[in-house]
Amino acid sequence: MDLPVTIPNATVSLPNALRARAGNRRTVVVNGSTIREIIAALDHDFPGLRFNLCYETGELRSYVNIFLDRENIRYLDGLDTPVRNGATIHILQSVAGG
Amino acid sequence: MSNNHTYQPGSVLVLVGTKRGLFLLNSRDREIWNVEAAGLPGHRVYHAILDQRDGRRLFAADNGDFFGVFLRYSDDFGQSWHEPEQGIQFPESSGLKLNNIWVIEPGRPGEPGTVYAGVDPASLWISTDGGVTWNFNAGLADHPTRERWEPGAGGLCLHTIIPDPSNASRMWIGISAVGCMRTDDAGRSWVFANKNTRADFSPIKYPEFGQCIHRLVQHPTRPDVLYQQNHCGIYKTTNAGEDWIDIQQDLPSQFGFPIALDVHQPDTVFVVVEDPDGRNNVGKQFTIYRTENGGEQWQPLTKGLPGGSGVRLGVLRHAMCTDTNDPCGVYVGTNTGQLFASHDRGDSWQLIADFLPPIYSVTAAVLV
Repeated sequence: MDLPVTIPNATVSLPNALRARAGNRRTVVVNGSTIREIIAALDHDFPGLRFNLCYETGELRSYVNIFLDRENIRYLDGLDTPVRNGATIHILQSVAGG
Repeated sequence: MSNNHTYQPGSVLVLVGTKRGLFLLNSRDREIWNVEAAGLPGHRVYHAILDQRDGRRLFAADNGDFFGVFLRYSDDFGQSWHEPEQGIQFPESSGLKLNNIWVIEPGRPGEPGTVYAGVDPASLWISTDGGVTWNFNAGLADHPTRERWEPGAGGLCLHTIIPDPSNASRMWIGISAVGCMRTDDAGRSWVFANKNTRADFSPIKYPEFGQCIHRLVQHPTRPDVLYQQNHCGIYKTTNAGEDWIDIQQDLPSQFGFPIALDVHQPDTVFVVVEDPDGRNNVGKQFTIYRTENGGEQWQPLTKGLPGGSGVRLGVLRHAMCTDTNDPCGVYVGTNTGQLFASHDRGDSWQLIADFLPPIYSVTAAVLV
């Protein structure tokens, strides 16, 4: 008998610039086992959000940072970073400029 | 935000795309102007244009710094903006990333739903439903020389689109630094149209392609006549781009970005030329140049324009335009946020906006 599989859920904090696409919410809860799946879930719930975060090639945009709890996923496994149940994810724009 | 209740038919609306948002200027007499922010604050707006063929739809090239590049449209002069249902995005399999949208061009008068867009990396996009869905032109994407196209300083950008109003199958495009291209079969195939235009920066001075065209305009009643401002000169063709004639004459520089034309006296063309190193006015006087005989002579226009040792103004490729009034208005925006206007074909000028962010584009519409 297959055991039931629980897909982790995570709370995603959105930057100001993206809140309009999510009904002006600061945070949303979505399911996904990796950051890539989290982004897919965000795009399902809020169409177009993936393109805000990733290029057409699927890579994370250069000036977008995603933190899993307190770690930048660029220093973990990138979009393949695993997500545990109850995680907090912050999406931030880079500090670009002077 | 803008208030369209003030926009009366017959008044002129100037759309100014800047490094930090879109601005609208409106005037009934082209002397007193009202300036309003029209949204997209903080966004790099490379180009914006009003399409009046079927209502009033405003398009903007919103090249955000962080969260992506979007073509947007507004039916209420920027009070609210919409994204296309199927926007400008390359297929994942292409391996291409959209860097910037450079130009949005409404189609011919007889095809009111058709809108074109040019982007970096160089490709041509077409909508046939007023901008709601977009598809790219495969003929250009599959061009056999494409692997050898090189970018200019602004990227590999398709910045100019001229759908020929006299021939639904013919169109010209400008790509930096590829040159002028033309299709005669509605985009199925494209040929280069660069003969006699120089590429001084290349070991081959007259290549088939690789020229750095900066801007291209078409004569309104003689469709085979076009003018281009190039990195290496100012040129005119009388045969649809089969070859080009250098019309720089005694202009003080061969380098400049914008070019515009008086639709009522279409042998009258305006250019701004610049010091190619500083990319600002040559000498101390900011000057617009005008020819009234198709490029045989050029006349400096300075009345009302600033001069002095502290004047260093640059004008980008989309930052000059004319309106369709007679006498035509001319509008010139600088990369330091000044907008100059003339209501008498360039004879005199006034500063109609200052302290704007760096200006990327200026387009004008006489409201119907």
